[in-house]
Amino acid sequence: MADTTPTKRLRQTPLKSPPNTPIPLTPQTLASPRRSLRFISSPAHSIPPANTPVNPKPTRSKSAVTLNNNNNKKLYGNDSIKDDDDDVIYTFSPISPDRTETKKKRKSKAENTVDRVNARVSETKIKIKANTKTKRRVYYKKVSYDGGEFSIGDDVYVKRREDDSIEDEPEIEECRVCFKVGRGVMIECDDCLGGFHLRCLKPPLRAVPDGDWICGYCEGRKLGKDVKLPEAPEGKKVRRTAKEKLLSSDLWAVRIESLWKETDGSFWFRGRWYVIPEETAAGRQPHNLKRELYRTNDFADNEMETVLRHCYVMSPNEYAKAENEGDDVFLCEYEYDVNWHSFKRIAEIDNDEDEDEDATHDDDWSGDEEDSDAELSDDMEYEEEEDRYTAARGSTPAREAAANSRKGFTFGLQKIGTKRIPEHVRSHKQTELEKAKATLLLATLPKSLPCRNKEMEEITAFIKGAICDDQCLGRCLYIHGVPGTGKTMSVLAVMRSLWSEVDAGIVKPYSFVEINGLKLAAPENIYRVIYEALTGHRVSWKKALNLLNDKFSNGAISSKDDDRPCILLIDELDLLVTRNQSVLYNILDWPTKPNSKLIVIGIANTMDLPEKLLPRISSRMGIQRLCFAPYNYLQLQEIIGCRLKGIDAFEKQAIEFASRKVAAVSGDARRALEICRRAAELADYRVKSSTSLPKTGKSLVGMSEVEAAIQEMFQAPHIQVMKSCSKLSKIFLAAMVHELYKTGMSETTFEKLAQTVSCLCTNNGITFPGWDTLLRIGCKLGESRILLCESGASHRLQKLQLNFPSDDVSFALKDSKELPWLTKYM
Amino acid sequence: MVERSVDEALLLLRKRLCDLHFIFSVFSDSPDSNYSKLKFIVSSSVTEACNNSLLLLGPRGCGKIAVLDLVLEDLLKEYPDMISVIKLNGLLHCDDNCALKEIARQLCIEHELMFSKVASYDDNSQFMIAMLRECGLAHKTVVFVLDEFDLFAQGKQRLLYSLLDAMQSVSSQAVVIGVSCRLDADQLLEKRVRSRFSHRKLLFLPPQKDDLQRLLKHILLLPTDSNLSRDYVTDFNSRISNIIADKRFIEITDKLTDSDCTVSNFMRFLFSAVSCIDSKSGYMTLENFKSALSTIQRQPKLDCLKDCSILELYIMVCMKRLEVKEQESYNFNSVMKEYKTIHDSFKTSDYYSHNVCLRAFEHLLDRQLVEFADRGHNQCIEYRSVKLLISHSELHQGLKSNRSCPVSYLKTCMI
Repeated sequence: MADTTPTKRLRQTPLKSPPNTPIPLTPQTLASPRRSLRFISSPAHSIPPANTPVNPKPTRSKSAVTLNNNNNKKLYGNDSIKDDDDDVIYTFSPISPDRTETKKKRKSKAENTVDRVNARVSETKIKIKANTKTKRRVYYKKVSYDGGEFSIGDDVYVKRREDDSIEDEPEIEECRVCFKVGRGVMIECDDCLGGFHLRCLKPPLRAVPDGDWICGYCEGRKLGKDVKLPEAPEGKKVRRTAKEKLLSSDLWAVRIESLWKETDGSFWFRGRWYVIPEETAAGRQPHNLKRELYRTNDFADNEMETVLRHCYVMSPNEYAKAENEGDDVFLCEYEYDVNWHSFKRIAEIDNDEDEDEDATHDDDWSGDEEDSDAELSDDMEYEEEEDRYTAARGSTPAREAAANSRKGFTFGLQKIGTKRIPEHVRSHKQTELEKAKATLLLATLPKSLPCRNKEMEEITAFIKGAICDDQCLGRCLYIHGVPGTGKTMSVLAVMRSLWSEVDAGIVKPYSFVEINGLKLAAPENIYRVIYEALTGHRVSWKKALNLLNDKFSNGAISSKDDDRPCILLIDELDLLVTRNQSVLYNILDWPTKPNSKLIVIGIANTMDLPEKLLPRISSRMGIQRLCFAPYNYLQLQEIIGCRLKGIDAFEKQAIEFASRKVAAVSGDARRALEICRRAAELADYRVKSSTSLPKTGKSLVGMSEVEAAIQEMFQAPHIQVMKSCSKLSKIFLAAMVHELYKTGMSETTFEKLAQTVSCLCTNNGITFPGWDTLLRIGCKLGESRILLCESGASHRLQKLQLNFPSDDVSFALKDSKELPWLTKYM
Repeated sequence: MVERSVDEALLLLRKRLCDLHFIFSVFSDSPDSNYSKLKFIVSSSVTEACNNSLLLLGPRGCGKIAVLDLVLEDLLKEYPDMISVIKLNGLLHCDDNCALKEIARQLCIEHELMFSKVASYDDNSQFMIAMLRECGLAHKTVVFVLDEFDLFAQGKQRLLYSLLDAMQSVSSQAVVIGVSCRLDADQLLEKRVRSRFSHRKLLFLPPQKDDLQRLLKHILLLPTDSNLSRDYVTDFNSRISNIIADKRFIEITDKLTDSDCTVSNFMRFLFSAVSCIDSKSGYMTLENFKSALSTIQRQPKLDCLKDCSILELYIMVCMKRLEVKEQESYNFNSVMKEYKTIHDSFKTSDYYSHNVCLRAFEHLLDRQLVEFADRGHNQCIEYRSVKLLISHSELHQGLKSNRSCPVSYLKTCMI
């Protein structure tokens, strides 16, 4: 399959640089640190590399990754990539008339693009008819065009006007003071992004300062002064870089989503626009960075002709690491919805690749609706895809589908987004304690997973052993351990590392299905979920069972991708136990079939689950088991320490105390993390609520906070409640204890108790409140489960029992000030 | 003029007594109060994008929901458009399926989406998880309030599991707040659910004596800067201060708080006191509080006994005599036999027929002074064994307070 072979690339045609494509050879800027530290040496020193700005490696490999994922998860063919390499001749069609139109229309929203698509489609339709369907669109993953190599997922500048002169496109910007290029080190202002020679500054700088640097002009402007920028010398045209043009909306930036060759030989791409903050409904917000862009959900098809060159739009993480991509680096953290004018963070690729993929493809194809009619026969490869997304078609606002049902699923969620990005999210500087809190969250995935290396190796060996041999016999692994010992996390981590091996071509591709027993409405639904995950079709569970039986036991192969091994991870396996245990039997029976290629990994808490099952099931479950023992305190300490690396917020003993305490009780890593997080929260609360304290003092989380957090987590608050309850309730409880000591029976009736209470009252000079009041008090105590009692309707026959040990009660009541005599009776 | 002031003042007082926000705003200023602790936890989830789950525990009537509402209202004002609140009640939604549907419905309403009633459990749970994710990406916090939390912790606890599991795996921003009066609510959670729960607990306790004093003044003293007549307000306030300082008043409040010192009980007491105000004079008196106390501390069983007819009392006395003779189980017929012996030995003037007695017996059953001991339904009333639900001393007290009770009757009882 093509996922192991690299994507076919168009041969680089010898650059004969036709006259109507005047993009100059863009000399690559030397590796220059981006922001403040931009050393730009004179162009004379810069060695122009071969002829094209080399496509940055990461982009390419990323596209390969997405390709693989497409194959594995969605099982639609990558046959969309046609391999007609060597015979591509660049025919540069004249600039199509509708291109300028597009650009004008870009301001107006999505419906226009659809119109445009229509126009184009009708055009192609005619052509198709003329050509008697011999020619068709050819899709590529990568196109070498006009000296540049463009692949799907790349970000490029797009010309805004047809006459955009690009000859004088400077790759290096001029100094703002002397208006000359080169000659010495330049520094970039973090506010206006202007470049300055170090020696042109007043006073001149010797070296590039660390951290942010703001030029004198911006500083002056901030102070409210009237600042005059130095004017360019007479006759010299101020040239602007592509970046500046983009930020003043004279250029567009676009992300290439697909590339194809039209029937007439011209190259087209479908792009996803980026916008600058000024172009959004909310305008530029105070926390926006200068180089910030928003990704939109607006698509348009354009000819490759309009592409200027590469730019690099990065996520905040990449942006922070980026150093030598030159001037064309932009930051993009949010997606902007052009219909709803709302913002949404872009989900991180690592976590939810598949969903992300889904989303983009969805948008992709809903735009192409009309295409399918025209080119039904042509685009056979996409037919399946179309099927899947017919439901999504309903997502035009006219036919609104309910958001919580499956059909409208893709629609409703786009609506969610903030109108403005809240300021505190972006411009808030985290304190150490807040950092600690964030990193201790259960939801944050740690960079490394300590203490489970042995188990992870075992899992890896198991999976590799199962899928690597050509036979690929089905196997089964049972993993057990108490909650919070990293069972699911380890399996998923193994899966992640295997993915990268698949990408590297070491391991054969496989499909992976993850199911949680507790999240199924009924055990039988698991068939449906498995079938849907494998094929994308939704059927009833009975039908799914039949189909899966066909697939696994009889080896019926429905499509060509079907023969890859399938790994099934079932979390909370014990929830699948039904009365006759047929679900578990079926699932564990499939791996034993010769052609199944199914690997089952079951996870549950109890060690003896197989023994509790019917013998025919436990024998199928096999002997391969893996136990996740509870963490001991050293391991817990390591886990916490690993997360808190580099953050100075905890005292060392505090962590040790927490981990020892948890290890003694359960060995649950989640508990340990939560205790530490709670302790950090308490410390943070203390710091923030005490306004009198000077902020300078460093606040570490100490023993007292951890102690308080442990108290809160492990102790029932009954003693406090007993201490603060009403006087008669205390007497009631004392009478309960007294009764217990007198009779030795834990259970008593209300009648007996009332007699004891009245006895206590008369002996100590308190008026007896009356039976009904006493009954009410008893019921109240029962409500908060200090007592266990029957309902009050049975009155004097009501049975009562203490829910906590009598020692707790005596402890709580022993030094009550209003009733000092209570101790006598306990 | 004065009358209008009185009406307005009464209106104001009643309004205050029903306004939980007004009541609990007294306690919200100090950093040790549950209000500020809760606000810190929820707002840190909003600003720092973290997930939390916490329990609000405490006896009924201590203001768990009231404080929570206060916090949520303030936060909604502070961060408009960034918090959506989903409220569930264990009494209404303890079934996982219907709880999830309700969550989906409220999410749809909150975000103006279409909601379909027929969506399945899977659809709804996927929708919820997708929504949590999207809301997290859009910096929106979802707050789940689960009232009567203990009732959610029944059965397989699918809802809690999927909620808490979503919070530890998805990049979401959510707070799950469980509210329960059961102190052991977190022990009810299943192991794997408990492991995912963050175990923050806030304990709500009934207020101390001085807090109640503060509350009293906060509520009863009329504001001087309102449109009420000035003289009236100063007069009213000085009288209230006098009453509050009065020893007899302190006795009354002590009596009240001795049995139940929660805020809700105290408010009920004040409300009935305010309702007793004589609208002619327009001022609160000590008498008002006294009568309020007596209306609050009713003794329903004793009141019941007061209204019983002589025959009904006879029947109960007979049952008591049987019990004294250590006859454990008895039914109507054996009670009738006892009734006959009393009649014979004391030669009372009135003897009622079997049917009349049966009618009286049924009355007793209706008032729950007497109860069937078994659950059998196929027997007729006469033969089913019954139990007396009030104790002997209560019966004694009731006989004494009953006006129509003859003296000879008491004698029989004294045996």
